[in-house]
Amino acid sequence: MKTLRLLCILIFAFSPSVSFSGVRHFTFLYEAPTSARGSLELENWVTWKQITGPDRSDEVDFRHELEYGVTDNFQVSVYLADWFYESNKEHSGFTYSDSAIELIYNLTNPVDDPIGLSIYGEIKAGDRLVELESKLIAQKNLGPLIFAYNATIEAVWEEKELESREGEFSQAVGASYEISPRISAGIELLHEFVFPKWRDEEKIRNLFVGPNVSYRSGNWFVTVTALAQATDTDDEPDLQVRTIFGIGL
Amino acid sequence: MKKHLAIFAAAIVCLVDLSSCGTTSLAPPPVTAELARVGTHQHVDLATLREGRVLFVSRCIECHTLPAVSQHGATEWPRLIDEMAGRANLKSTERDAVLAYILVAHSQSR
Repeated sequence: MKTLRLLCILIFAFSPSVSFSGVRHFTFLYEAPTSARGSLELENWVTWKQITGPDRSDEVDFRHELEYGVTDNFQVSVYLADWFYESNKEHSGFTYSDSAIELIYNLTNPVDDPIGLSIYGEIKAGDRLVELESKLIAQKNLGPLIFAYNATIEAVWEEKELESREGEFSQAVGASYEISPRISAGIELLHEFVFPKWRDEEKIRNLFVGPNVSYRSGNWFVTVTALAQATDTDDEPDLQVRTIFGIGL
Repeated sequence: MKKHLAIFAAAIVCLVDLSSCGTTSLAPPPVTAELARVGTHQHVDLATLREGRVLFVSRCIECHTLPAVSQHGATEWPRLIDEMAGRANLKSTERDAVLAYILVAHSQSR
């Protein structure tokens, strides 16, 4: 708690004028531009995941994130808390999951350069959970169109004494069209390769696809994506809907 | 599995293909000698034009795609920039540079 307070004091002390840090056009993909220096934003994520069939279950994940532009090319985010509500045959209730720190460095511009690129690193820690994640973010803006691609590698240690290990490689691609200065709509596609115990014996592959829509006004935005599973993996959500609400502070 | 990979490959090919064509035509006009000449007539120096363009293509895309400089009239641009300068965390000199670049590019595009 003291660390969080200190972080907030440092953020405000070093930013002469704090403002909005950017709009998300996608919710399952990151975009290459980073926040302007000195800008600060609070993002709240809500993701509803549903597994249908005889073992039907529902889970709602929540994230509260502070995003700060350290320089024009470098941004830092703190996930204050990731927590979730789950409801299935055996159990229902709220659980705190983890907190995290995320760093993004922008290398090239999606308008002027052939491809806009950023690199991303994240460290997540919680109750019986440690996760490392790296991402390559690519983006191209063509007039009112935004195309984005993310390649992600993830290593997870979880459960008691962190004895359960899992690796994941995922790639995501999305397109968003700006219908008006306030509204964008598009599509997102997420392709996951899961490696339990960091092995590929089970050949777990998941593909999700669905539309997104984003609305922005003043110093806030809201973006929603609904993804349906195109594969047939039993313990993965058949439907997931993610909403990100961001507000400049 | 192969079908999934094919979908992804097609999506990436489209992305790369689109990025290689039309990039220059859809990007805001570069600061050329011709644009600098137009700027000189409007008392805007080369450094300001360059700074304005860099800010325009980097800060404005944090929230939205870039409109063509000809999309709004010369009298509309100052109000639009004023509305968004705070959100983009632009200092007053940076706001002036963005506006100067847009107005010079706008007058050249007519």
